Amino acid sequence: MSNINGKVYAMNAITPMKPWKTWIVRAFFFVLGHIKPLQKDLVDLSFIQFARWVVVKRNSFPYLKKGQMQEDLKYDYLLFFSNFNGTWNQYIDAFSAVLSNGLNLIWRWSEKFPGSVPVTIFKEYIARVQFDTDYYYTAYPHATANDVKSAHIVQSSVDSLSLAAAQYTPEQFAAAYLRFVIQVQCHLGETGEAPIAG
Amino acid sequence: MPNENGSVYGLTILSPIIDDEKVTPSHDLQIRDYLAHLSAREDSPFAQTQGTHLARLVVMDDVIYVGAPSCEEHLKSKYLIFEANLDGDLDTYLSNLATSIPHHLDEVWKHCVGYPGAANRQAFVDYMKACQLDTTFYFAAVNDKTVTQTLRALQTQSAVADFIASHQGVDSATLQREFIHFAAHLKALPTPKPGSMGPHRSIQTGGHNE
Repeated sequence: MSNINGKVYAMNAITPMKPWKTWIVRAFFFVLGHIKPLQKDLVDLSFIQFARWVVVKRNSFPYLKKGQMQEDLKYDYLLFFSNFNGTWNQYIDAFSAVLSNGLNLIWRWSEKFPGSVPVTIFKEYIARVQFDTDYYYTAYPHATANDVKSAHIVQSSVDSLSLAAAQYTPEQFAAAYLRFVIQVQCHLGETGEAPIAG
Repeated sequence: MPNENGSVYGLTILSPIIDDEKVTPSHDLQIRDYLAHLSAREDSPFAQTQGTHLARLVVMDDVIYVGAPSCEEHLKSKYLIFEANLDGDLDTYLSNLATSIPHHLDEVWKHCVGYPGAANRQAFVDYMKACQLDTTFYFAAVNDKTVTQTLRALQTQSAVADFIASHQGVDSATLQREFIHFAAHLKALPTPKPGSMGPHRSIQTGGHNE
């Protein structure tokens, strides 16, 4: 079992849904996918590197014959995979506090979902439907989502300055360098070991 | 296309695991044992396959019963979940997997129903796609950068912080000369190996209170 690699936590969850309800979830995700401003809270949370929801119809589990028994299920299932930074408690707390309306729209169609507020009952539900990761790999274990976003801003600024640097007089370069430092100063946080949560 | 977000592809595969009572330990336990001994750092198989941002392998034993009044039901197969966030085109990625880490793929997926082996690349790609599930909604915080670009950017970020700290109060001409040298040096540096820049952490379980 290995839910953590460096600064990233892999969460897996699966919840049952009555088949007629999955169309509502699909419709919600369709709207969310096509109207970007609705994703603002998800983006602003800024500690999720990648996340996905997968609706599996009760008759859509991969069936390869060759001795495999075909599934015979009453429910459709909603799979959720998230790659987030920070601890499990921080993640669920933030989800509950910031995205409660969105989460309710996604999971209220799952059986026995208690709502994302109050958070204690919500955590009990997530703990029940979560299952552990056996192997977890990340190409940049020392970096959070914010580190990655910041690093690309720094890279872009360095590229711009280095392109023009040789053309400047020393005085012009000093002014451009000052603008560069102001531009990147908020994006130089050190990557490395994650702090231990108490 | 719901599997894609910008230039990043969200791959979700569920491969049914062979259920054979005569095999001890069972196939799912053999997968778990193999994965428990597999490196997740720069010598990870996924670090050898170009374009993997994050990937996980999970043995899903069953669906979860959430309590009455919902119905209790069970899967007839256990499934190996392969979830990956990768650069670009799926066919190319799967072909690269088969070419670069065939031994690891075979050691894991040989416990799954109908697995043809990685040696036959096209059969491997077809098998993986037969087990693929379409993503309903896919979120990526950064969706327009490759793994290589991100590793280079993180390297640059760290170097720039050091450069700025060590060049405070330097006169303009020296600053310009040294920055040009610094930028050229940075460009010439090799890209860090995927999975190589993280600290070693002894705790990896990630319990609910961590």
